[in-house]
Amino acid sequence: MIRLQNVNKYFYKDEPREVHALVDINLIIEDGEFTLFSGPSGCGKTTLLNAIGALDTIDSGKIFLDELEISLLNEKERTRIRLNKMGFVFQAYNLVPVLSVEENIGFIMKLQGFSDAQIKERVQEVASLLKIDNKLQSLPNTLSGGQQQRVAVARAVASKPKIILADEPTANLDSKNSQTLIEMMLELNEKEGISVVFASHDELIKESVRRIVRLEDGMLV
Amino acid sequence: MFKLILKMAWKNSFVRPVRTLLVVLMIAISMGMMLGIEGLYDGMSQNMAEKNKRSDSGDISIFAKDYRINKELKFRIQNAAKIEEELQKNPQIRSLVLRLSADGLVSTARKSSFAQARGIDLDDEEAFGKFSEFLEEGELLLGDKNAIIGIELAKTLKVNVGSKVVFSTQDSSGEINSIALKISAIVQTSNIILDNNALFIDKKKMFAFLGVDAKDATQIAIASDDAKLLNILKTKYPTLDVKSFFELQPMMQMMEDMMVIFNSITFFIIMSVVFVGIFGVMYVSVLDRIREFGIMLAVGMEYKYIRLQIYFEAIFVGLIGFFSGSLLGLLLLIYLRDYGLDFSAFADALQSWGYETIIYGTIKLSYFTTTFLAIMSASVLSVIIPLRKIKNLNPIEVIKAEK
Ligand SMILES: Nc1ncnc2c1ncn2[C@@H]1O[C@H](COP(=O)(O)OP(=O)(O)OP(=O)(O)O)[C@@H](O)[C@H]1O
Ligand SMILES: [Mg+2]
Repeated sequence: MIRLQNVNKYFYKDEPREVHALVDINLIIEDGEFTLFSGPSGCGKTTLLNAIGALDTIDSGKIFLDELEISLLNEKERTRIRLNKMGFVFQAYNLVPVLSVEENIGFIMKLQGFSDAQIKERVQEVASLLKIDNKLQSLPNTLSGGQQQRVAVARAVASKPKIILADEPTANLDSKNSQTLIEMMLELNEKEGISVVFASHDELIKESVRRIVRLEDGMLV
Repeated sequence: MFKLILKMAWKNSFVRPVRTLLVVLMIAISMGMMLGIEGLYDGMSQNMAEKNKRSDSGDISIFAKDYRINKELKFRIQNAAKIEEELQKNPQIRSLVLRLSADGLVSTARKSSFAQARGIDLDDEEAFGKFSEFLEEGELLLGDKNAIIGIELAKTLKVNVGSKVVFSTQDSSGEINSIALKISAIVQTSNIILDNNALFIDKKKMFAFLGVDAKDATQIAIASDDAKLLNILKTKYPTLDVKSFFELQPMMQMMEDMMVIFNSITFFIIMSVVFVGIFGVMYVSVLDRIREFGIMLAVGMEYKYIRLQIYFEAIFVGLIGFFSGSLLGLLLLIYLRDYGLDFSAFADALQSWGYETIIYGTIKLSYFTTTFLAIMSASVLSVIIPLRKIKNLNPIEVIKAEK
């Protein structure tokens, strides 16, 4: 479970150009939930996602991952939390270009110290769920945009994180590929019970998800 | 994990093959050249040292005290034959030779010059330093009336094989005496002093001419590879002047010292080339991949692994450069060792310094180990600044920049 208590985040604090990017956010994301952050550009979706994903710090308030107050952690501890508890899918350039699809999917597990046999088995499993098991030996740049994003999702899922944070993963995809990716992520969310937090202003996605969190000017509405 | 990082580093070294190749080439060529020059310089000084040892001092020479300052007959080693006997029992001594020399004047009908008459035994000299290899002209003969002359002295006196010369000097009783001699051969020892001054005369003849006991000598030259021998002899013969080759030839010592300086310069030149080269590729490559690193940091890869990867990348490029450079350098060195480099255009200048006109290189393992160290340290140093780019990287900024 993720819990945010009165979270505030500023950019350029105490400068004339100050931006109050997150305003008194209170939010709970239950385990296994699929949550969509939606709202106009600049409303604070990415900022919120980065705060939850321990990528960024906040200025006040508290963020808990289960019992752990992640908003108190230092840089190094946040890196460890990201590695062990979070999965990330970004808009683009997710993959390591010199590694094969198989190695990319297993990358996080490798960092976590899983054995090669364990990694291989799990990679097979998620790759077939995401229908990229025939591309395991390919290099990322030989894949289509949609396939690359599926590999990124596979990598995020493979290590069985508490939560997957996906910031506009479909922004560079056409509607058909977007649709496929969403469906696969929903399926994974159900099968693996991993929470997914998704930021997007894609109308298509709104129809597929149960929970939508709307943001406007850094506030929940 | 380690394996994966190695693999990523290795593959990344070849992501831009042309770029990498250029740096490798840069390293290889500079290294090859440097090795060649090093080998040549080394070969030159070694050759000079070797000829000097063979023709004159050996590794160690023994004189009577004061002889080297006042080259007078009264400062000769009395009963040198007894010392010879003792030394011959020493297994550390490869060979030794006794000489009786006297400074004096050599003259033809027209010209005269300072000369050093060196009473030698040709067979002993042959065993000691392959004297016959120095022969330039004529026949190595030391009969009762023959003399062998150094090449430069022959030029000064304008004499040839068959010419007659007169050598005069003070004998042991203080009288000035002369002998007439016929030049039987001209030798080039590449030992400047001998080439300029030496007049080799039969030792037996010298004893009689100078009125010196046949057991005496002015110099005992010893050939030995034992580094400890010098001190042993110094303590054993405290009343004599026991000197090593380098003590006798300070110029040779200087050349050796120069070699050390030269090697350090080589070291730094290679290091700079490698540094600049690898710094260039790594800097561009890191900037190219800033997003890749941003994502790695974002998903939880620790900075130290990225650092390791960058170090490996630099080391790979350095290593490939080193091996190409070694190959190039080795080929060059082998060529220089076997065929030499012809400097006959500068022959006069070189010969007057005791160098040969064709200079042959040497090959030493140390050339490669030093450059290896130079390249490795430069590789590691060159990524410090590129690494700072990553260390200060904020993954959020990088990810945001994608949009
Ligand atoms: N690193 C930053 N420095 C300064 N201001 C920032 C930074 N990141 C975000 N902001 C500001 O914070 C506000 C929220 O930005 P954020 O990126 O979270 O919006 P978003 O909802 O993700 O927008 P989009 O849909 O365009 O991705 C914006 O006003 C933005 O200008
Ligand atoms: Mg955003």
